[in-house]
Amino acid sequence: MSTLRWARHVTVATAALVMLATAACGPLVGAVQEPTVLAAASLTEVLPAINAAARFSFAGSDTLAFQIQQGAPADVFAAASPKYPQQMFAQGLVAQPRPFAINSLVLIVPRANPARITGLRDLSRDGVRIVLGDQGVPVGDYARQALAALGLSGVLRNVVSLEPDVKGVAAKVALGEADAGFVYATDVRPVRRKVRALRLPAAAQPDVEYQVAVLARAPHPAAARAFVRRLLSPTGRRILVDHGFRVPAG
Amino acid sequence: MRHGFTAIQALALSLALAFLVLPVVAVFLQVSPAAMLTQLGSETATQAIVVSLRTNLVADLIIIAVGTPAAWLLARHRVFPGRRLAVTLLELPLVLPPAVAGIALLVAFGRNGLLGHQLNALGLSIPFTEVAVVLAITFVAGPFYLRQAITAFEAVDPRLVQAAATLGAGPWRTFRAVVLPLALGGLAGGWALAFARGMGEFGATLIFAGSLPGVTQTLPLAIYSEMNRDLDAALAIGGLLIIIATAVLLAVKMIPSWNPTPASSPTSARRFATSSSTSR
Repeated sequence: MSTLRWARHVTVATAALVMLATAACGPLVGAVQEPTVLAAASLTEVLPAINAAARFSFAGSDTLAFQIQQGAPADVFAAASPKYPQQMFAQGLVAQPRPFAINSLVLIVPRANPARITGLRDLSRDGVRIVLGDQGVPVGDYARQALAALGLSGVLRNVVSLEPDVKGVAAKVALGEADAGFVYATDVRPVRRKVRALRLPAAAQPDVEYQVAVLARAPHPAAARAFVRRLLSPTGRRILVDHGFRVPAG
Repeated sequence: MRHGFTAIQALALSLALAFLVLPVVAVFLQVSPAAMLTQLGSETATQAIVVSLRTNLVADLIIIAVGTPAAWLLARHRVFPGRRLAVTLLELPLVLPPAVAGIALLVAFGRNGLLGHQLNALGLSIPFTEVAVVLAITFVAGPFYLRQAITAFEAVDPRLVQAAATLGAGPWRTFRAVVLPLALGGLAGGWALAFARGMGEFGATLIFAGSLPGVTQTLPLAIYSEMNRDLDAALAIGGLLIIIATAVLLAVKMIPSWNPTPASSPTSARRFATSSSTSR
């Protein structure tokens, strides 16, 4: 009856595997009352300081919006622009989005500044290697907007890479491989020993507004609302300011 | 009871087939062939096709030109100091995560990398260029060819090589007239695997070469870039890559028939050698 024993082994092993898999997936679907937060990459440092227990997935806001449209089992969406939260609000995928932070766009160059960039005009010089966020990635769209406002769209021919999120831009400049890149002011801090930041002229500074919304199909709606409340609370606002963000009035 | 066990095996096989085939089928169900063709005519897709084919072609030429003699050396000399170390090092990129490959290439060939100074002095800057894409592909795909090539050469009966030498053929002629024809099937299989891996290269390329349409944006990078904007475009490119991969796989399966003589397999080669030595 060795086949029977074999069959039993297989059954036991299968059952054990299924149980293991279920146990491993447990925290994702189970009773843990902490929200899953899909957040813009530029919030990587600040959000864990606001709620260390939540589970975070940081990426470009456009990537996150896509994941939500594909049914990602998440609770909160925090984006680096109003575009995607508002779009998804219109589609009924999220509840009313709320603005919670304001950032500014800066130009960063490696500390050694190999291309000797001291202002935005230098970006149009031949051979300067610029990295931007990809189209649809908020930080990339803001950068294109700023360049257009300055009549410097010709700079785009010096772009050597379109990155999936703002951290990709910061990394390529911090490594010294790119000569310049547009990131948010708050992204400078983690790489401040490797890059220098140049402020944009006021006329070119886009409005970088972050919005947060609870997903319509949030598995943990109560935890999601609590997360948003804390984010908008005086404590949340103080932590945002500590990390270099500004906060909307009110 | 035997039936019960067979049933479990059949169930496992059906599960495996369903799970592995379903996602591939889903890609084609999501986009109609007509829409796929339209999408593949878009600028993003055509640029990515050109970048992918060009970089893979160059990388494969490098891989074959360097890999073939290197593999022949390793196959001919089964014992020499450091051989095992050399083989292990050559195989390392096979098991290395692509992201590690990307960042490693960056700190080796980047502007501030190990060879950065020397490259700068020559006026060369590799990151963000098509050269970077070629290097990334060569790094991750090369070992697939090397490994297969070593195996293919090892299967060539050494007595045939000796016989050729005895008959006065120089090493180059022996290689060309005896070894290469016998190993060709295995070499082609190795190339096919390297090509498939190279066409799919993503992580190392994104980190080392960046992503710019028409320059460094290969087909997998185009999928990643398009996915959030236009899912149909991304799926169309995905469909194209599935078709390419399937073609490569079928080609590999048919490789034995690529050879005009069935003598490519080691056993038949040995038989040939034995019979020719006994018929003397």
